[in-house]
Amino acid sequence: MVRIFAIACLGVWVAAATAVLSGQEPRSVWDGVYTAEQAKRGEALYGQHCAACHGATLLGAEAAPALTGFEFGGNWNGLTLGDLYERIRTSMPSDDPGKVTGQQKVDIIAYMLRVGAFPAGTTELPRDQPLLTQIKYLATKP
Amino acid sequence: MLRTLRPFTLPLLSLAVVLASTDAGLVGQVRSRDGEWSTYGGDLASRRYRPFDQINRDNFKDLEVAWRFKTDALGPRPEFNFQSTPLMVNGVLYTTAGTRRAVVALDAATGEMLWMHREDEGKRGEAAPRKLSGRGLAYWTDGREERIVYVTPGYQMVALDAKTGRKVAGFGRQGVVDLKLEMDQTIDLETGEVGLHAAPIISGNVIVVGAAHLPGGVPRSRNHEKGYIRGYDARTGKRLWIFHTLPQKGEVGNDTWLQDSWTYTGNVGVWAQMTIDEELGMLYMPVELPTGDYYGGHRPGNGLFGESLVAIDLKTGRRKWHYQLVHHGIWDFDIPCAPILADITVNGRAIKAVIQPTKQSWLYVFDRVTGQPVWPIEERPVPKGDVPGEWYAPTQPFVTKPAPYDLQGVSIDDLIDFTPELRAEAVTLVSRYKIGPLFTPPPVSTFEGPRGLIMVPSSTGGANWPGGSLDPETNILYIYSFRQPSIIGMITDPSRSDMNFINGQARDPNAPPPAPAAAPAAAGEGGGPALTVQGLPLLKPPYGSITATDLNRGEIVWQVAHGETPDAVRNHPALKGLSIPRTGRAGGRIGTLVTKTLVIAGEPGFFTMPSGQRGAMLRAYDKATGAEVGAVPMPAPQTGSPMTYMLNGRQYLAVPISGAGYSGELVVFRAPQAATTTSSR
Repeated sequence: MVRIFAIACLGVWVAAATAVLSGQEPRSVWDGVYTAEQAKRGEALYGQHCAACHGATLLGAEAAPALTGFEFGGNWNGLTLGDLYERIRTSMPSDDPGKVTGQQKVDIIAYMLRVGAFPAGTTELPRDQPLLTQIKYLATKP
Repeated sequence: MLRTLRPFTLPLLSLAVVLASTDAGLVGQVRSRDGEWSTYGGDLASRRYRPFDQINRDNFKDLEVAWRFKTDALGPRPEFNFQSTPLMVNGVLYTTAGTRRAVVALDAATGEMLWMHREDEGKRGEAAPRKLSGRGLAYWTDGREERIVYVTPGYQMVALDAKTGRKVAGFGRQGVVDLKLEMDQTIDLETGEVGLHAAPIISGNVIVVGAAHLPGGVPRSRNHEKGYIRGYDARTGKRLWIFHTLPQKGEVGNDTWLQDSWTYTGNVGVWAQMTIDEELGMLYMPVELPTGDYYGGHRPGNGLFGESLVAIDLKTGRRKWHYQLVHHGIWDFDIPCAPILADITVNGRAIKAVIQPTKQSWLYVFDRVTGQPVWPIEERPVPKGDVPGEWYAPTQPFVTKPAPYDLQGVSIDDLIDFTPELRAEAVTLVSRYKIGPLFTPPPVSTFEGPRGLIMVPSSTGGANWPGGSLDPETNILYIYSFRQPSIIGMITDPSRSDMNFINGQARDPNAPPPAPAAAPAAAGEGGGPALTVQGLPLLKPPYGSITATDLNRGEIVWQVAHGETPDAVRNHPALKGLSIPRTGRAGGRIGTLVTKTLVIAGEPGFFTMPSGQRGAMLRAYDKATGAEVGAVPMPAPQTGSPMTYMLNGRQYLAVPISGAGYSGELVVFRAPQAATTTSSR
């Protein structure tokens, strides 16, 4: 029992130290986490790989849910872009998730953020999943 | 050991059984046909009704979790949109599940897997227009043999031995019928764009199979596969008949296709569930619209049997009657769900009725023998639009009774009005779009405006594929609907389609074009903005409702907001201090279930539950009044329609759930032990 407690304390310490060393403040999709250029790339990719099922306006259809709007925001509110990326990475496009690269999927997320009226910034949304996990999806501006 | 479901307190990684049941080993020993759920809609009338009352208002909040079944391993990757409704026959629960649309047989008391069947369809499956787990499967027996029949994503019909899961050798070709063959047209076996989500429906020895395609807002071409409907011999898999939902030369309705547009136009399938009256020997088919969800310029004419309810002879496939609900559709008002049969009494007259719920929030009620409307359906003039080349129907059918169960069309009065500021912002937002009543035609999209039509009900409803439930004791129909706008604008883009117009929105002419993609199918319309005001829904609540309609009187009996108010409304700074009644939630496709005393439905979408955890509630309402009588938490929203069964003296309730970040899972509740001592049903 003592050993388990010690390991748990070590884990907490490592996590805290990592946060301090990385200097990362908690961020959200309202903090300009993608660039306009990246969203532009994502727009083309969305039309190519996603629009057939999710609709040209991202509002969904019988077979696939909306990727923007109030309900989408409600479903993902409080999760992270890492969660969203993981969902897309493992399952989309549904015919072959491997045919769209990780970078392209991040670009598509950038496009979804633009359509969702989240502000663009000066730094691209990173391909790195641990970094994506540090960005919270908040449906309304904090 | 049993306990109520507490999200995240139960292991999530289990493939089969999470909680063991003391009923294990009794499968097959206790049989009650009345206790089963042997076809998708609960019965062939698609009523989604069972007269059980062991689960009731007194104990709903104390429901126990009998078992949970996680579907992640049933395919190469997890599924997050688990839409199947299981069947329960002879103590075995059957369902499709997973990204491969595998079929599993589970011990209905414990959840233990008895067998699993999968078809690896390779590229054919990958190219399928309707993937994932589908809506379910069908059961057939001749009293000796038992079979499970389902349609794969790649559009093959498979018959399995219900006891072993092995393919039935005498059915089709070694248990498989290739549905891309014998369809009175040439379809590429690998890439031909036709498939099916829906479960087949079986009556006697006839299996009926529908047809579905990709969503049609941006079809690649005006030339498209046709969605004909076929009947098959349940014993041999031999095709018995085919019904041309898009009639050929010389067939009834062909003259409604002007300029020979029937020759190349496609779709007009039946992707929804169908319904059968075994006594009349009639099949009722809810038909979708033809190619081009929002532009019909290449298919002038009313275009039968697009968006029609069609009644045919089950054994021969011959048409008995039809009624077109939308002429020359340009709103994607595909008829989305099963018609429901009810024997109603209107002004003292007994009528065998069929009721068709729709995306446009009307219940269309017909005499199911003759096809005559029970209450008048009036042809009224509707406005023409301005899209070049479009052919506009001068009138549309308007239901006069019952009243619609949700909003039809948009006016300024329908916009958010929690505060004057929010209303003002909403008015500014919609000024860039076209709004109007039901059947307002979509405009050509321009960046200056109108950018499109704000359409309510949206192209997904109103109601959608789960449809409604009917209580045959009272002839009250229950249905969930939601209020969510979609934007429909017409643009041209020859790089994506040979249609003169497709759905999209005009780009800012001063903005740079999107980056080139690796393939030529670039987007080009700029996507749609989220139709929100400070992150809040554009429209007034309720965002999601359940409505009860008395079909003897043609009147709404009660209506309640279904779903707790979304977090973003409850916590919004602009709404601080305001008292806002429960708004309900939209965004899901929610099926209802009716029992002796209750209407049961899970919530769509996630919210922060009273426990502080993320999830959704399964709610029960008094079916007579709409008063909520109980709720239990689930870790994710309902995504498949619930069903119920009795087994070994105990009532079970199965709910397929999944959602954002939560892969598909079947959660099966049961009445608390104490209830079994007070009810013998």
